[in-house]
Amino acid sequence: MRTWGLALALSACLPTSACVQTRQFADVQFTPPQGDYRLLVLRPDVSVGSLTTGGMVEPRADWTDQARANIIAALQAQQGQRGGKLQILERRNQLTGASEQEVADFERLFYAVGNSIVIHKYSGDYLPTKRGKGLEYTLGEDAVRLGQKTGYDYALFLHAEDSVASGGRIALGVLGLAGCIVGFCAPNIGGASQLDYAGLVDLKTGEVVWFNVVQAGSQVPGIAFGDLRTPAGATQMVDRLLNRMKPGLAVRRAAEKS
Amino acid sequence: MCGRCAALSRRSLLVGGGVAAASFGTGLAQARILPQEMVPLVGAGFKPTDKDEQGIWQLMDRAEEEISGSNLLIQDPQLTGYLRDLIGHVGGPAAKDFRIYLAHIPDFNAMMFPTGFAVVFSGLLLRMRNEAQLAGVIAHESGHFLRRHMIRSWRDQRRKTDIFSIAAMAAGVGGAAGGVYLGDYVQLAQLGTILSLFQYSRTMEAEADAMGAKLIAQAGYAPIEMANIWQQLIGEEDASARYRRKRRRRGSLFDTHPSSQSRMIDLRADAADVTEPGRAYETGRERYLSKIAGIRPTLLDDQVKLNDPGATQYLIETLAQDGWNGLLRFYEGEVWRLRNRNGDDVRAGQSYAAAVAYPDAPADAWRWHGITLMKAGRTAEAKTALTRYLTMKPDASDAAWVRQTIG
Amino acid sequence: MNRYLARLAILALGAVGLSACSSLGAGEYGYSSYALVRVHRVNVGDQSLSVVPPRPWNRHRSFLWSDVRDVEDWTLNGPYLDGISFVSGLKSGAYLIRQSKRADQQVPKFRSDMTPPEIVAMLETLYRVKGGAVDFRTRSLQPRPFLGTNGFQLDYEHLDSDELWRRGRAVGAVINGQLYLILYDAARSHYYAAALPDFESIVGSAQLRR
Repeated sequence: MRTWGLALALSACLPTSACVQTRQFADVQFTPPQGDYRLLVLRPDVSVGSLTTGGMVEPRADWTDQARANIIAALQAQQGQRGGKLQILERRNQLTGASEQEVADFERLFYAVGNSIVIHKYSGDYLPTKRGKGLEYTLGEDAVRLGQKTGYDYALFLHAEDSVASGGRIALGVLGLAGCIVGFCAPNIGGASQLDYAGLVDLKTGEVVWFNVVQAGSQVPGIAFGDLRTPAGATQMVDRLLNRMKPGLAVRRAAEKS
Repeated sequence: MCGRCAALSRRSLLVGGGVAAASFGTGLAQARILPQEMVPLVGAGFKPTDKDEQGIWQLMDRAEEEISGSNLLIQDPQLTGYLRDLIGHVGGPAAKDFRIYLAHIPDFNAMMFPTGFAVVFSGLLLRMRNEAQLAGVIAHESGHFLRRHMIRSWRDQRRKTDIFSIAAMAAGVGGAAGGVYLGDYVQLAQLGTILSLFQYSRTMEAEADAMGAKLIAQAGYAPIEMANIWQQLIGEEDASARYRRKRRRRGSLFDTHPSSQSRMIDLRADAADVTEPGRAYETGRERYLSKIAGIRPTLLDDQVKLNDPGATQYLIETLAQDGWNGLLRFYEGEVWRLRNRNGDDVRAGQSYAAAVAYPDAPADAWRWHGITLMKAGRTAEAKTALTRYLTMKPDASDAAWVRQTIG
Repeated sequence: MNRYLARLAILALGAVGLSACSSLGAGEYGYSSYALVRVHRVNVGDQSLSVVPPRPWNRHRSFLWSDVRDVEDWTLNGPYLDGISFVSGLKSGAYLIRQSKRADQQVPKFRSDMTPPEIVAMLETLYRVKGGAVDFRTRSLQPRPFLGTNGFQLDYEHLDSDELWRRGRAVGAVINGQLYLILYDAARSHYYAAALPDFESIVGSAQLRR
C-alpha cells in the first residue's frame, strides 16, 4: 500500500497543478564556494513580460527593471550570508582588467557550453561518455586567463525569465503555450512560465562546476508563484537556484564516509 | 556531416520559422499611398511614454548592445562612415541620432529599430547599383521609424492574437534554431530572429515606400531609383527560381508575394509625384562604386559561395553592364565551377581564361585557370599559370599543395 | 513478481508524472541519439573504412531517412563544441548531406575528378549554406599521405551565426573515384586543441577494409 501512496505523490505533478522542478548538475569534486571568494555575475538576463490572452509575451520595462533590481538585491543578500565579494556586471565594458571583446567571447563560449549542458544533461539526448559523471564541461584556458586578469574566483551566469498572466488570460483560462509567438524570448520548454538557469564557472580551472535549471510551470493561469516583481518572489527564485547548491558526488560520498 | 547544421543554419535564423521577415522586401499597398501625405510622426529626441512601447525599447536597447559587439559586423571605418553620412542625409528629422551597423551577411536586407539604430546586410551593398538606391533603402527603413510602424504593428499583432488565441497557439514558436536558447538577448543578437519580431502590413510597407521616395527626392536623389531596386530584385529572384525550375514561392528569403510588380508600379508613380520640375537629381553612381570598390571582391565571394547559380549569374551580369573585367569574369567562372553540372567545368575554364586576359584578374583566377589546364592535360601551360599564381600570392594558404603539383 | 511489477509501475508513473510537469525529467536515461564508441577498431560510414579511437567517443546514430549513409558523425562534448565526421566511399555524383533539389542554395556534389582545392570549395559551401557560417577561411592546404595514397590536409576556421569561431582540420583522398575524408571541427577556444591529438591518432589508425 505504501507503494501506491508513493505513486500518488508522484502523480501530483500532473498538468492540472503547479509544480516546481529544479535539477542540478555538479562536478563530482564540487564544493560550494565558502569564505572569502570573489564572484563575478555576468550581465544577468532578466525579463518579465505580460502574458496576453492570446499567449504573446509582451515585454514590460517597468516589471523587468523591478525584477532585475530584486534579483540583484536577493543575490547580494544571499551571497552576503555565505561570505565573499560580489560584482554584478551590467555591461560588457564594466569589467576592469578585461576588454569588451574578451567578455563577449567568454559569454558566447558559455552559451555554447550551456546549450550543450541543457541538451545533453537535461533534455535526454545524453552523451554516453559523460553519463553519470556529474558535470564534465569546461570553458578552458581563456576563462582561466580572464580570472587571472580580473582577479575573480568564480563567474556566475544567470538567466531569469518570468511572465505574468494578465487579467484577460486568467479570464480565458486557456491551457497551452506560454507562447513566444514571435520568438523573441527564449522558447520555454513544456510551456513553463518561468525558466531560470544558472551556471557557475570556476575561474581557477575554467570548468563549469555547477549548473541548475529551475522550471516552474503552471498550466492553469492564476496559480502564482515566485513573482519576480516582488522582493519575496525574487528571493525565492534566487534561493531555489543558488542556495541549494549541493556538493558534488565525490565530496558527498567522502562526507558520508566520515 | 555537420551535426550542428540543422540547428545553426543561417537561413533558418533569417527566415525565423516561416514568419514573414519584416524587412525591405515584404508587403504591398492596395491603393497607392501618396507621398505628400507622409509626414513624420516622431521628431528628434523621441522617447516612448506608453508602457508597451517602453518594454519594446528596453529589449531593443539590449539588442543594440549585442549587435554593436557582434563578431558579424564589418568595421571598416570608410564604409561605416559612408553609411552614417547617408543616413544623416536621408533619415528625416531625427537622423542625427541614428546609428547604423553593417553586418557581414550575404543576404539582401536592412532593418531599422524603434530606438533609432539600423542594420544593413552586406548582401545589400552587392545589389545596389548606385548611391540613390542605397539611400532609398535607408530612407524606406527610416520611414518605418518615422511613422512608428513597429509599435503599431506590435499592437495590431497583439490585438489579433487576443482575438484568435487558439489559432495563435497553434502557430507555435518559430523554430529559429534547434537548441535551447539560454539568453533572450543572444537570440536577439542573431539578427534573423529580430527580423521575425515585427510583421509589417501591406499598408505600412506602402507608407514606408512613399516616405522613402519623398525623403530621397528632398535630398536630391532621383526617386525613380527606388522602383529600379524592385525591378532588379524581381529579375534576380526569377533567375534563381528559373534555374531551380520552380516559381518564386513562399519560404524563400525574399518571402515574395505576387505584388512586387504593383509595388514597383506604385513607386514609379510616387517618383513622378515627388519630382520637382526643373530640379536636377543625381544617382551618385560613381561615388557609390568607388566607395564599395574595396569590399566588392568579398561581397562577390560570399555570394558565389552560396551556390545559387541563377541569382549569382544575374547579379554578375547586372554588374557587368558597366563593363566586364577580370574580377567579374573570374566570379562568372566560379559560378559554373560550383554549379558543377555536365559541361560546367568547360564553361568555367573559358571564363577563367577570359579573366586572366585582364590586368585586374585576381590571383585566384590564375590558380583555377591552372587547375583547369591541368585537368585538360595541358601540363606546361598549367605550370605557368600556377607559377604565376604563386608569384602573386607567395603566402597563399594552399601554396604547399600548389608547389607539389607544379613539381 | 508482484513487488517487481509494482516497482516498475511506480517508475513508470513517476516518469509520466515528472515528464508531465516539464521536459526536464528525461535526464540521462532512455533513448539518446548517441551511442558509445569503445576503444577498439570500428567500421565507420558505409563500413569501408575502419579506425581506432584513443579513448571513448560518442557516435551520432544515423536515421536512415535523413542521413547520408557514407557519412558518420562523432562527438566528445556535443556538436556545438566539437565533432569528427567520417566520409567513406562517397561516390561521384553524390552529396555530403541530404538537401532538396529545389533549394535555392545548394551544396555541390562530389565528382571523382575533383582536385583538393575543389573538395575544399565543396566543404566551404557546406559550411556557408548549411552550417550557418558567415565567414570561412582556409588556413592551409598541403599534401599529406592518407590511406596509402597521396592525399591532402586542409586547415580552416569559420565564424558561425552563434558568434563563435570554430577551427577545423580535414584529411582526405580520392581512392578509386570515391572520397574518403576525416574531418575535425571544434570551438576555437579550448576545444579544438583539446581533441586534436585524438583526431591525429584516429587518422593514423585509419584503414580501408578490403
